[in-house]
Amino acid sequence: MYGSLSIRHDDYTGYTALTPYIRNTSAVSSEAGTLEKVATKQVEFSEESQALFGDKVAALSQLWTLARECGQPDWDGAGASPIDINAVMNSHIVICALPANIPMPELAPDPDGEVSFDWMPSRHRIFSVSIGAGPLLAYAWLDGNDKGHGVAQFDGTTIPERIIEGIRRILRYGNITVRPSFHCR
Amino acid sequence: MATLPSGLPFIVDDEENIARFLYHRSLYSTLGPKTSAFLPHKQDRETSVFRHGSEPQEQLWAIGSDVAGERYLYGAAIVKTRDVREARLIVHADEPPPRHAVITGWPWDENDQKLQKAKQKEIAELLVSKSALLVR
Repeated sequence: MYGSLSIRHDDYTGYTALTPYIRNTSAVSSEAGTLEKVATKQVEFSEESQALFGDKVAALSQLWTLARECGQPDWDGAGASPIDINAVMNSHIVICALPANIPMPELAPDPDGEVSFDWMPSRHRIFSVSIGAGPLLAYAWLDGNDKGHGVAQFDGTTIPERIIEGIRRILRYGNITVRPSFHCR
Repeated sequence: MATLPSGLPFIVDDEENIARFLYHRSLYSTLGPKTSAFLPHKQDRETSVFRHGSEPQEQLWAIGSDVAGERYLYGAAIVKTRDVREARLIVHADEPPPRHAVITGWPWDENDQKLQKAKQKEIAELLVSKSALLVR
């Protein structure tokens, strides 16, 4: 019975269609019970996806606001370069490529026209990556007394493992919610 | 001791606070200033700051607003000169304008600008960890 239901993880129509099965269910048979379980999982998945999608949309919105507000030379009053449009495009791709279990970073304009992605659970635990016009990403971390820096290449699809591991290490004691993957376009 | 037109000593003392004005709201968060706030400008390879002593904050905001022109001044990152020097950077007076100083000595390598940026970010993170945020 429930096999005839079309469940698509990237389609909110499924969420809408299934909601009545959970919220107003009066099913009593075992089949209805199974259907209820499947529908419940689907709704939970959709709600989590919506939450994640919202995070990425918010980050992308912040990015484009930054591009607009810092797109002119001297946006900081001290001679900063305008945010490079190619840096913005790369940043957009990086946001979309971030794994689902990594929280969205805070974004900031660098004075050389790059975009800084900052994960900062405290002032003593920081991981920061600068996204520029090219494929090379400059990053640095501070973890109490431990600190370091590096450069990694982004292939346009997958964030370099060194960077992902670095972010996870900084956030290890933070509150990370693992969420299902959701692809933005 | 030699003094500047502002009346301040020519040498910036280790115990002096210096202020980096924040002209964009993305340069700080609830936790404090971000790394980008301290990074140097590539034209002069330095970070522009103002010496901030025990005078009222209103005076600091007045200086920042003068420098800002039409830009909105959101706040300032405050860091002690000693902490900047411990990060192996240099702080020296650079008037005019009054109370102006600069942070220099940032790693610079024209042959590997990405590595240079990574090194600068590491130092900027140290400054973030030692700084305080004043919001206007």
